[in-house]
Amino acid sequence: MKSVIIGAHLRRDDIEPLAEVLPAADVFLSGLAVADDQPLGDRELLLRVARVRASLLERATFIAIRYGFAASTANEAMAKCAAHLDRWRALLEQHREEVEMTLKVLARERVPRPDRHDFVSGAEYLKALHAATAAVDVDPEFRSAAEEAMGKGRWLHRDNASLELAALVARDGVERVRGAGEELKRRFPGVPFLLSGPWPLEVFADADRE
Amino acid sequence: MLPEMTEELEELTLLETLDHLLDRGVVVAGDAVISIGDVDLLYLGLNIVLANVDAIIRTGRKS
Repeated sequence: MKSVIIGAHLRRDDIEPLAEVLPAADVFLSGLAVADDQPLGDRELLLRVARVRASLLERATFIAIRYGFAASTANEAMAKCAAHLDRWRALLEQHREEVEMTLKVLARERVPRPDRHDFVSGAEYLKALHAATAAVDVDPEFRSAAEEAMGKGRWLHRDNASLELAALVARDGVERVRGAGEELKRRFPGVPFLLSGPWPLEVFADADRE
Repeated sequence: MLPEMTEELEELTLLETLDHLLDRGVVVAGDAVISIGDVDLLYLGLNIVLANVDAIIRTGRKS
């Protein structure tokens, strides 16, 4: 058997009995046990993990581990996470009462996506894709209003046509933010956006996004 | 709410859920190879980096 690792949690009872517990130094990893030969790309498995993930978040805030990490033993999982564990513990203590919410918004203008055939090297093509993504922006008035509705957050460039605002929200503030989202819809009927959440710590636990 | 609207909403929620599962959170070194229909995935060296291509590009932009 192997475990598909779902997240890192502060307490064992944040996980049990919803998922398997894999102790890892000062945190606890949640996992879903599957057969060794179970393909991780299986649709049903993805959906099962998604359901367990949602149930775990109802219990307590945790750090999301991107889908695809599997380990055969707790020791193996801990060894692979070793570099993160101290930071995770601190983040879990700091954000215990918060969850993430995200607002994906269509850009003012779609920046043309580069055509691979126009580039000799893959590196140049990737650079052009980066530039196209970074050039995307939203209406400044909407940007301010979204920040006001969501609270302090991080803007992420999604692709060449959209951006995303990720924000930390108090666990008991989710409904308030949803209400603010409805108000945004009324105020900016021409700006397509999707407000979603609550989510576990994803953007705010990802060191690459800091 | 109309049944079609409910269905659309459910589909949107599922897509959003899968997007977060596949494109968010901490990436941990692993050793599995994954492929999922209609989602472009990459396998790099000894570390698995599972995400859609746009996520890889965003990560690459920082390096």
